[in-house]
Amino acid sequence: MARSLEVLLLDDEPIVGRRLKPALDKIGCQVEVFENPKEAVARIDQKEFDIVVTDIRMEEMDGIAVLEHVQKKWPRTKVILITGYAKMDLAREAMGKGVFDFIAKPFRPDDLRRIIASAAEALGMPIDAASPNDETVAE
Amino acid sequence: MSIIIISSDVREIEEMIVGKVAEEKGYGRLDRRIINDVAARHQVEPGRLIEALETTPSLFRKLSSRQWRYYLSCIEADVLERLLADNLVCWGLAAHLYVTDISHAMKIRVLAGKSSGLAKIAEERGISLQRAETYRDDEMARRKKWSLAAFNQDETDLSRYDLVISLDQIDPVETVRTITGASEYRKFQVMTYSMKCLTDLALAAKVHAVLLKSMADVKVQARDGSVVVSTRASTRQKRKKTETIKALAGQVDGVGYVEVHVKKNFLKETA
Repeated sequence: MARSLEVLLLDDEPIVGRRLKPALDKIGCQVEVFENPKEAVARIDQKEFDIVVTDIRMEEMDGIAVLEHVQKKWPRTKVILITGYAKMDLAREAMGKGVFDFIAKPFRPDDLRRIIASAAEALGMPIDAASPNDETVAE
Repeated sequence: MSIIIISSDVREIEEMIVGKVAEEKGYGRLDRRIINDVAARHQVEPGRLIEALETTPSLFRKLSSRQWRYYLSCIEADVLERLLADNLVCWGLAAHLYVTDISHAMKIRVLAGKSSGLAKIAEERGISLQRAETYRDDEMARRKKWSLAAFNQDETDLSRYDLVISLDQIDPVETVRTITGASEYRKFQVMTYSMKCLTDLALAAKVHAVLLKSMADVKVQARDGSVVVSTRASTRQKRKKTETIKALAGQVDGVGYVEVHVKKNFLKETA
């Protein structure tokens, strides 16, 4: 049997993790949620996740720094950035640094599931992202 | 996957570079060949659309400012909708002026320069190089005026572009290679966010075109199917105009919610 997709979800707003974890559980992902970037990075040092989903703007460490840390430690891991402050320059910077995808809040859990599914496909671990409609994730 | 938008100070050179880049990348071309389709869709004369792309409103040409803006909005709406298909090289439709803040749309300005650009103009018009230079300068001043009037953007401002190439320094073969190479940069690849921005921009443009058909002075923004229209009206007309906008915008495919912001039109208020 194929193993589950291991996902680390980092956002300093607790509501984001509360909303997104069940949405990703539904499609068979094993999700670990963090609100503190330093704790998330410590966990990343211990374990190779398939996918890291991180907010960009956080107090102690921003999402771009998390992306760079993941890339140094686990080059295979796909990183998805989420932000409520999306701008073209930031999007290009993130893409230039090798982020798998970039999504602006607010978004529906289904939008993230679609991106997770395409990251899974790129990892050679395809999943079925189809799931019923959900609420929008708050900005 | 990306969009490449090329503009130049000499049209023939623009077309030549576009053709080669499209061929090299295996991309489709989006250019004035769509004008007949745009005209049919909006039930206007194709010649009027071309005229709107080339000139500013004038009494002599019987082109009013309102008609001109409407024709441009028809082109903009269709171009943006087609750009959603991706993998396109676009030119000749002023897209470099209204495709804004889309990270996977790479904007390129090719400067024809003295050696190739002026020689081309001189040859085609049968004039001296000196006269060709005057002609090119006049043409650039005219395009600057047009782009500012049409989209409040100065197309001769090189800081607006992602890549600027001077054909005086880089030959056409190398120019094509440079453009195709740069388009491979990850920065210009499509992402969920940039596609969403383009979808919002396309929806706003579609609503804008529908509204400009029957009224002037409207601005439209869209986000996830919600549309905000800003306009002006007298106190007496405010309610009727709001209802009309909601009815017209609400019929556009993809629009889920319409909000109208009306500012007082002091000119009509005092009239």
